[in-house]
Parts: sequence; C-alpha cells; structure tokens
Amino acid sequence: MNCEVCQLKELDVEYFEIREVLRCILHTIFFHRALGLVRPKDVDLTLFEITYVQCGDAELEKKVDDKIDQFIDRVEKHPNKKNQICLSFFEVKNKQATWFTHKVEHLYWEQWYINLNVAHHPKPHSGKSHHSKLVLDPGESASDEGNARRATLESSLHEVLFQIIKFVNEKKDHIPPIPNMEGVSFPYEITISSSSDSAFGMDMFKRMLQTGHPTMLS
Amino acid sequence: MMAVNPHSEPAKMEQIITEFFAKSLHIILESRCPFVSSRNYSGELSSASAASMRPRDKWFNLALRDCPAALENIDFWRQSNLEPMVVDVVLVQRPVNWDYASSSPKLAFEQNLLSKDRFPVVWKSDSDEFWCDGHSEKVIERWIMRYESKKGCKEGSSANKRSSTITSHALYKKSILLLRSLYVTVRLLPAYKIFREINSSGQIRSFSLVHRVSSSVEPLVRRDEAEMQQFTFTPVDTSCGKLCISLSYLPSISDTTSESSTPMSPQFITDYVGSPLADPLKRLPSASLPQYSPSSPFGRRHSWSYDTRMASPPSALPSPSPTYSESRTLHSKFGSHRPPISSRYSSLEPAQVHTKDTGYDEYFPSPNFSPSPSPSPPVGSNMLKVLLRSDSAPVYIPTSRLGDAPLYSNKTVLPFSPPLQATRPSLSLVERSLSIPTTAGKLLSLRGEDTARPSGVKISSNSSPHKSSSRSFSRLSFEDSYDDSEFSGPFVVDDDDTLDPGSRPGSSDRSGNLGMQHERVKSQDAAVGALVQMLKKAPPLQQDLNRSQYVSKTSRPEKSSNQIQDHPPHASSNVSSFSRVSGIKTTSDAMEELKGYLDVKQMLLKQSGKP
Repeated sequence: MNCEVCQLKELDVEYFEIREVLRCILHTIFFHRALGLVRPKDVDLTLFEITYVQCGDAELEKKVDDKIDQFIDRVEKHPNKKNQICLSFFEVKNKQATWFTHKVEHLYWEQWYINLNVAHHPKPHSGKSHHSKLVLDPGESASDEGNARRATLESSLHEVLFQIIKFVNEKKDHIPPIPNMEGVSFPYEITISSSSDSAFGMDMFKRMLQTGHPTMLS
Repeated sequence: MMAVNPHSEPAKMEQIITEFFAKSLHIILESRCPFVSSRNYSGELSSASAASMRPRDKWFNLALRDCPAALENIDFWRQSNLEPMVVDVVLVQRPVNWDYASSSPKLAFEQNLLSKDRFPVVWKSDSDEFWCDGHSEKVIERWIMRYESKKGCKEGSSANKRSSTITSHALYKKSILLLRSLYVTVRLLPAYKIFREINSSGQIRSFSLVHRVSSSVEPLVRRDEAEMQQFTFTPVDTSCGKLCISLSYLPSISDTTSESSTPMSPQFITDYVGSPLADPLKRLPSASLPQYSPSSPFGRRHSWSYDTRMASPPSALPSPSPTYSESRTLHSKFGSHRPPISSRYSSLEPAQVHTKDTGYDEYFPSPNFSPSPSPSPPVGSNMLKVLLRSDSAPVYIPTSRLGDAPLYSNKTVLPFSPPLQATRPSLSLVERSLSIPTTAGKLLSLRGEDTARPSGVKISSNSSPHKSSSRSFSRLSFEDSYDDSEFSGPFVVDDDDTLDPGSRPGSSDRSGNLGMQHERVKSQDAAVGALVQMLKKAPPLQQDLNRSQYVSKTSRPEKSSNQIQDHPPHASSNVSSFSRVSGIKTTSDAMEELKGYLDVKQMLLKQSGKP
C-alpha cells in the first residue's frame, strides 16, 4: 500500500488567524476520513466567509484544538520560521516480537502537510488565547493592506480546501477498509514541526522511507 | 421479467446507485432551498440519536435533516429509471419595488410546481435569463448526476458476480467519499452565500433562490455558459458503469446580489420593551378582590393578570393557575379590562411593591396597560414601572399619589399597609401621632395653628394634612423598610391586606405580624426614633433647616426627651442658645414648639402604657 502525501499550499497567516485556519483545514480533512456514521456540523469562520464542515465528534474537536494550541505555542517559541502540521493516517501492524523489539508499527497510508508561514509580530501575551488583533498602524493604507492580505488569505484558504477535495476525490484506492470505529474511522496522528528543526526535512524523509514507496507529491 | 433477488449484487448495486442520487439531491437542495435547511443538524452522534435516525438517513453514513424538496423530486426521479438528474439553482431577481406581499410567495410556489411537473423538462426558453412578471431568473449552478453504464455490460452475469461483490463494497465506500466531498463543496460555492443570506434574516429581498430538477439537460445560454466554471467530481466506477457528478457554476454572483435588500417599511414600534405600552404595571390586585388568599402562592404572583380582569365579577374568575396561563394568551381580553384597573394602580403603588415575583412579572407583562385611560400621572406610573422592573427589593416610589391612598383601614392595620380601597377610619392614637410630625415645615405650620395641644390628633382630622402626613409617614415606613430588611415582612402583610381586605381586621393569619408592628410602634424609643428620622429627612425649609436639626436633637433619644421634659430650663436654655445661633425670632416660639413636642411625647408614653 502506498502512502499518499498531499502538500497543501502554504498560507501566510497572522497569529490570531492560526486557530481558525487550522481548524478549517484539519476538520475538512477529518470529515473526509471519518467514514463512519456522522451528522455533519457546519461551522462558519469568523474571520473569513467560509463555512467548513465538522464530523460532529466532540472528542475529535478537542484533540484538534489541543494540537492547535501546541502549534501556537511552538510558533511563539520559534518565530520567523515556517511551521508545519502533519496529519497522518496509518494502519497498525504488530511486528513480530523479537528479543529486542516488540513494537507496533504504523503503516502510514496518507499524510497531509499543512504549511503555515506565521507573520512575526510582537505578541501581546503568550498563551492559548490569540484572539487579540494586531495593532495596525494608523492610517487608511495600513487598513487597506490588512484587508488585502485578509482577502488574499481567504482566497488561498479556499484554494486549500478545494485542494483537499480534489485530492480526496482523486485518491481513493489507497484507503484501507473502513474499520468499525466511531468518529474518525482510521487511526491518525498529528505532528508539528518547523523549518528550524534539523529534523524538519529529515522527518519527512523518514516517513517516506517507512512507507517503502516513493511518495507522490501533489 | 425475472424477479431480482434484493440481496443479490445487482440489486445492491442498483440500490446504491439509486440512493446515491437521492443523497446527492438531498445534499444539494438542503443548501440551496431557503428555509429547508438541515444546517447544524448534527450534534454528538449518540447511540440514542443514531437509533432514532431513519434508515435512509444512514445511507452513506451521512445523516441529514429532512429536505421535503429533495424528497418530492427524488420520488419523481425514481420513475425515470436512472436517467440523469439535472438540478438547476436559479437566482430570481425582482425589482426593488416589487409587490412582495402578493407576488413573491406565488412566484416561488409556481416555480416549485413547475419543477414538479418538469419530468421531462418542459422548459423551452432559449434564455436562462427568463423574464416573467418583471423578474429575472438566472441559472447560477447546474448540477448533473448521472450513471453512465458501460456498453455491453450485463448485470448479474456470472462473470461479474465475484467482482461485483467487491465492487458493491468498494462502490459504497467510494460513494461515501464522493458524497462527503459534495457536502463540503456545496458550502464553498458562491450560491451558498446567497442561500445563507436569504435564510439569515426575514428581510424582504429582491432576490431568491429556486431550484429545478429535471431529467434532461437543457442547454444553457452561450453567454451564461461562458461565464460558468466547471468542476467534475471523480467518477465512481461500478461494475457496469460509473457514477458522475459534474457542476457548472457562476464563480461570481456578488454583483447581482450586492444591491441592498428592500428595507421593510418603517414602523413605529409603540410597544418596545420598556415603553409604557408594553410594560405592565406590576401591581397587585385591589383590596376588593376576595378570591386571592394570602396563602395562595399565585395570589400575588398572578395578581397583575387578575387585575386585568377586574371588570368581571371576582367570583367569576377561575383559580390562579388558569389565570396565569390564560393571561399569556388573552391579551385582548386583558386590554379591555384595563381602564378600571389602572385607576387603582397609582394608589396601589406603595403597597404593591414587594420583593418577590418581579422577574415573573417581567416575563409576563400585562398587555395594554398604558393605552387605557388612566387617571394616574404617567410620570409616576412610569417611575413605578421602572422601579418595579429593575429592583427586587422594596422600593420607595416617590409618587404624588402616595398620599391619596388611605393608609389605614382601622387601627389594627399597620402604618405600612396602604390598602387600596380601605376607608379612612379613625386612626389609632399612635398612628395619628406618628403621622403628624412629617416635616419641619408642617411642624412649624402647626405652631401657628395649634399650640399646646395634641396637634397630631387635630391634624388627623384634617383631610389634607392627613394626606400629607400619611404620605410622609408612608415615606418613613418605606424608608425604614428599605433600610431595614426585617421590614420586608410588612410588605407581605400589606399585600395580604390589599388582597383580602375582608379578613384584614384582626386576621389571625396576620396577627403575629400585626403584633410585632404594634410592639414596634409601642416602643417609645422607636417612636422617637421615627420622629427623628422624619425630621432628619424632611425637606428643609429656608430657615427651618436649622430648626429641624434642633428638633431632632431635642427629640432623639428617650433620655434626651426625658431630660427635656424633666429639665425645662435646660431645654429653654438650649432653645435660647439655639436661637442665638440660628436666629429664631423669639424664644417663646421655640418654647411653644417644644411644648408641642412634649405633648406628643406624652401621648406616646400614654399609648405605650396601654395594653
């Protein structure tokens, strides 16, 4: 089984936009991978005129929010760096126990890379709450720039969502049989990395090696 | 025709395909038909909720709300034997000054009727921008669901039997994925914004969305087709064909809907929250209502509604509970009974203030209170309403009507109970005396009129001074009650008094409270203190301001009064010293005044000495 990898378009976001953008993207992906019985839940973004869909799993929602919090913390610690969230779906394979190893192997069959370029601005307060807007310079030009940037980001986010839809539509054969699970049908993990990490690229390379097949970058 | 085993693979395949069309139509129309949305239908998927879902909801593991439009159309489509399903989402625009009341519902209804009858499509216009009755239509989305069967493929053939089993399972899984994508996609398209805009507010807009479902693909106008963008979902292969969903949509519709919606005609809201028309006077019923017993929990709570029925004989009234429930609906009936009630409210103002049920009264305001002609001054009534609404504690209501209410029904009635229709019997000596020295001005006026006599008694016989004194006394009483929490009891008593005046005199239910009140009154110190309070809070009158202070000083404690009584020279010296300071005209005047106070004190002592 090959591992399908989707590198989503990089987005330039501000601190206060991270949460909404990541929620939108992650939940859109999860909605396509929660193949059990769901009651879709529409969520309107407050910063953009976009409505995304959640699969209605409260536990998943909490996990996503926790991961977003970790990402935001990491971004605060590593400013001015490209940050990435990797959502991986895997199958659990029990390796044959040996004297040295007895571990469960994760066979990744799909990976989503969400690339965010967080603009560096002096944050007023570190913490999980990033609802405070950045102080804009007085004058119309700054507000116009902000509006243009926001519109560009909304358009880019739109593109990312359609990118997900296209990917999901085009790649279907690699999906393993649907287990009888509530919420997200397949085991997954979310990892956070940033460009400053030495293992930023190495981590990707390791995952590629684990799959045993050349990745197909979209 | 050979009967098809419903559990055979071909049957399953056909069922999956049929349900796929139904689900697709449901997803599309759910987000394009205004007011038929199942948005945010989901919550946590609990076992109970899952069990309650209909079987169709579980198809493709996507539970959606009912969509009548989809259900209607899919029933027609089933007869078409897997023909393509074309769903056109049409933006209908009407002129700004369009007669919405008469036309728009009809228009939408007609469109839906047409959609029902349009199998096959009878739409023969050459233009998708169809003008009819002053409105324009434009196809902004076209969804085409079709099943393309492979040529030469036979269902149920033995060669395909094994693969079809796998295929049906795979078909179902891939159909799930496709429909998930469809669900997300419909919400990312421009038409969804229009749908949300229409659904979000009840404003009459110049545009609306209608849908047409047909089984044939009518060509679009070249111009429109050129503007549209195409999007095709990856087909889902089956053993004998493939399921396809394609989309043509206008990428930009904002220019057509950017015009502001027609504003509603301005209406003056006369019954806004807080207005005299909307807010009730939260008053208890008058004393002449025997139905409510003090012990009834609803007697006070629903008194306002009961009040509105004052025009009807009290005996005809139902029990409090029905009154409560009926008051919520029979507003017109209440309104008709308004006039006779409002006249009582003003006089009831001080009596009706109580700590309880204010919140209830807020939620169930008695309607049409104000429109009825009311003799009460609007300012006072409004003040009452404001105070009653905002406070849950007893409130002093500075209304001019306060004095009009007879405070006492008989001597057993406490000063704190302002009965509505109570007569003005002779007051007890204590009550009279308490009512007399209201303000310093009044006291000084007595100086000229009555000297060295129980002026309190005299004053009580005079109606106007009585009013003013009663007002002042009630003011005192309310102030005391406002300051002292233990005075909240009297309000309960007052309510009971007003509710059930028949049982008021010597009522055993309230005897405990009455006795307590008597004890307070009887207390000489309390009486003197009350005097002092009154004097302190009395409005100053020119040079009398200092006099009031002097009087308060002299009458404050029992000890001091005794000192005055026992040591007249001392008092006189005090008076003389005060006169030197304040400039009182003569010492004799002051002495006369002092004597008056002493008389009052004597009366108080006598009263306290009574059993």
